[in-house]
Parts: sequence; C-alpha cells; structure tokens
Amino acid sequence: MKKSRADRTNGNAPKSIVSAGASPRNYGLSLPGVNDEEFGGSLIVIEGMDGSGRSTQISLLTEWLESEGFAVQTMGLRRSGLVAKDIDALLAENTITRMTLTLMYATDFYDQLEHRIIPALRSDFVVLADRYFYTLIARAAARGIQRDYLHGLYEMALRPDLTFWLNVRPEAAFEREFRKSHTISYWESGRDMSLSNDLFQSFIMYQAKMKKEFEALAEKQGFIAMDGEASVAAVNTELRKRIAAHLGIQRTHYRPSAALASLWR
Amino acid sequence: MANESVTATESTAAGPIELTSATPPVLEPARGYPGALIVVEGIDGSGKSTQLYLLKRWLEIGGYRLHFTEWNSSPLVKSATRRGKQRRLLTPTTFSLLHAADFADRCERQILPLLHSGYLVLADRYIYTAFARDVARNCSQRWLRNLYRFAPVPDITFYFRAPLDVAVNRIMSGRPKLKYYEAGMDLNLSLDRAESFRIFQGRILAQYDEMIESDKFVVMDGTLPVNKLQMQMRHFVKSRIELSRFAPKKAARRPR
Repeated sequence: MKKSRADRTNGNAPKSIVSAGASPRNYGLSLPGVNDEEFGGSLIVIEGMDGSGRSTQISLLTEWLESEGFAVQTMGLRRSGLVAKDIDALLAENTITRMTLTLMYATDFYDQLEHRIIPALRSDFVVLADRYFYTLIARAAARGIQRDYLHGLYEMALRPDLTFWLNVRPEAAFEREFRKSHTISYWESGRDMSLSNDLFQSFIMYQAKMKKEFEALAEKQGFIAMDGEASVAAVNTELRKRIAAHLGIQRTHYRPSAALASLWR
Repeated sequence: MANESVTATESTAAGPIELTSATPPVLEPARGYPGALIVVEGIDGSGKSTQLYLLKRWLEIGGYRLHFTEWNSSPLVKSATRRGKQRRLLTPTTFSLLHAADFADRCERQILPLLHSGYLVLADRYIYTAFARDVARNCSQRWLRNLYRFAPVPDITFYFRAPLDVAVNRIMSGRPKLKYYEAGMDLNLSLDRAESFRIFQGRILAQYDEMIESDKFVVMDGTLPVNKLQMQMRHFVKSRIELSRFAPKKAARRPR
C-alpha cells in the first residue's frame, strides 16, 4: 500500500512549526504557514514539450486511477485562478519582458500549489501535474536567466514523488503539433528569441535548447525519461507500471472507456 | 548631516555598492550605466513621499533629466492584484511574487533603460519595501533576496524613520478606512483593523531597522520639520551625486 509522507519520516521527530525550513518534501524552504510534513497524497509530474503526448496520457491516467479508487486532482501551467487570464493577455501582446513573464508564471505556479495541490494532498489525492516548474526553469534559462536564480525562486515548491519526461525529437513534436492545430505557436517556437525568421527552423532551434535544459534537469532531479514517440498504449503501459508500483496497485490491467477510446492509438 | 555612520562613502560615484555579503551576484550587471538611482524608503506615514516630491520639484525646476517611479504602479499586474485583493486569494508568497513581477516590468522597461540613457531616477519605495513587508508576512529572507537580485542597487537610499506612534497617527487621521492587506489582516494579528495595522507596521519598522547597515541606508529623522529635512536631503544628494551630469544639455555644436 502507498506510504504517505508522514509514514516515511520518523514518527518520533518533533513536528516543526517554523515556516522557513527544509524538509524532504521541498527544495530547501517551506511555504510560509505550511508544514509540508503533515500531509500525504502523491504528486506525479509529466513533463515534455508540446506534441509529446502529455495531455493524452494525463486523461488516460486520470481514468485509470479513478477506476482503481484514487481521487485525482490535476494542475498545469497557466491554470491558476489568480493570474492565468493575465498571462494569456500578456502572451498575446508579445511586449512582455522575460523577467516579468518568469515572475508571472511563478505566481501562477505558487497560486496553484497553495490553492490546489496542497489542499488536494492534504485530502490524500493523487495530483497529476501536466508540466511542473521544471518547464518554467527550462524556458527562462533558455532565455538567459541564471539557473541558480530560478532554482532559488522555486525553493518552496514541493518535490514530486515521480516525474516522467516524455522525450521526443523536436522534428517529431513539430509534425504532431502541426497536424493538430495547423500552426505553430509564437512562444513554442521561441519567436521572441529571434533565432530564425523561418518558423520551422526557429521551432527546432528553440526546442533543441529546451531539450538541453531538460537533459540537465533530468539528471539532477531524477526524471524517468520515456520515449514519447512510442505508441500511446506503450507509453501508458509503462507509466501505469511505475505509478502502480508507487501507489501499491496490484493489477495494472486497463482499457480506456468509450469516451477515451479515440486516444488509444 | 543625516547619518555619517551608515553612508557608503566612496562607493556611490564609482563602483557598485554591495548589498550584503550573503547576497549572490546580481542577474544583470548592476552598474555600467551613466544614470543614478535615488530611493526613499520608510513605513507609511514616515513622510518619505512628501520629501521625494520636494526633491523632485527642486530637480525639475533646475532642469535636470529625471524620471519618477513609484512602487506598485505598473498597469501590467494591476488587474491581477485587484482580483487577488478583492477575493482575498493572495498568500504571502503570491502577494510577494505579484509585486516582484510588477517591479520587474518597471525595472526592465523603465528603470534600467533610463539609467542606461543617463537619467536620474527617483523611486518612491523600492525593493526594501518588499524585503520589510514580506518578511513581516513570514516570507523567507533568503528567498526574497534572491527574488530581487535583478534590481539595480541604488546610489542613495534615504530611510525616513519616524516613531511608530507618529507614523500611525498620521495615517489614521488622514485615511479613516484601512484596507485588508494594507492592515495586515491576512496575518491574523488582531481582529481590529487599526490594531492589526499598528502591529503590522511595527513589524515592518523592525525589518527596516535591520537593513540600515547591511543596505547602507541614509537615516533621516522623520519627526523634523519638512523644510529642514528637505534641505538635509538636497545637501546630501549634492554631496554624493555629480548633478551636472544630469543638467540640461547645451545645444551641441554642429560638426562642420
């Protein structure tokens, strides 16, 4: 059976009420007013560029976990109640500078962490994150902001229990994205960085930079790298195997319901 | 002279002033620009805005190239801040981050370009406001110092220090209704708004005092008469900043 965080720490250890403390659950600091040792739940992150199949896998995993009796909460980038709309507006304008964008995304991230993830973990949910702050670090670092600054910014983030990285070649991601929406977004192709006037070239160059950032993060943070170009079913089987082991689920047999059958390619 | 003991003697005109030894190197080179940055700090009711206004008028009348900027004035995050405050969504962390985003926008689009183009920039509140207020809200000091690493270090930081009672009474007499976050109601210090405000301002004052030495504040006595204080301020500015650099440029001779 799944071990909650409280089980993993020494039960006799005095509970810290100091807010600015390191714990196994954070990256060096805890959030003001949050004692992150007192809640359980599991935080599972799926990272990968657009076109790597993240959202498909999140939909399938949600259904599988619910069928196994686990309550699921999801999060993603630009989904906070506080600033998601403002970031949308800023992105549409293209006049925003990199530091401001970095900090707006950090606000969005922490708002979700405090108002969505932590309450869910307190209620023993499985939180599935469709991207995490790693993407935000990679994007900002690719734009020249110092990595140690960025890691300091996210020092109070919760450390995921599992992080999967769906790795795809930029060329394959381009094809998938183009097939889906018949265009490539300004930001996903790094147009703000003036890498190339050719959209395809710009996309490939930007995603290659992102990939480099991710490779460094993957090693340091212990990501589980997976071949994002394999079939949906193959990736899903592997994901379920790893998650089942973590949560203590015995059977991993799963077939998507009629509602999700179209995703099973 | 306002305060000889804490001023950074030679460091203003030439090299960068270091924040504290614990402060990591800044994101962008803080110097290497011809402009200068003058900042006023202090709790609400300390008289800092009046003094900066008078300093600004003095420089404007003299024709100097200057730009005035305020904390929390960018339209960029206004809607988010308003939404957060109205619905009381803000936590110490998101409150702090929104203000940092707002400051980053002003910094990257106004303050830094103007310093690079040789302006005298006057700031009513600066990053020390965030340090004092957010630490008073229990944010980690280490996290905050890192968060604002990209900010250029001021040439002069005037710290207007007034006793808590004096400052609080000035605010209470002029502004009968205190807002929720302004009064620090999110900290559950007291159910009474005025009392909460008092305790919160006291905490902020203590944080400002902590920074006097490490951040080389020039301490100004906020209880002195306005004009006397202003004369001290002008004198200090003249002694530290070569104002002729910001004087109106004479019409350049056309090259033949």
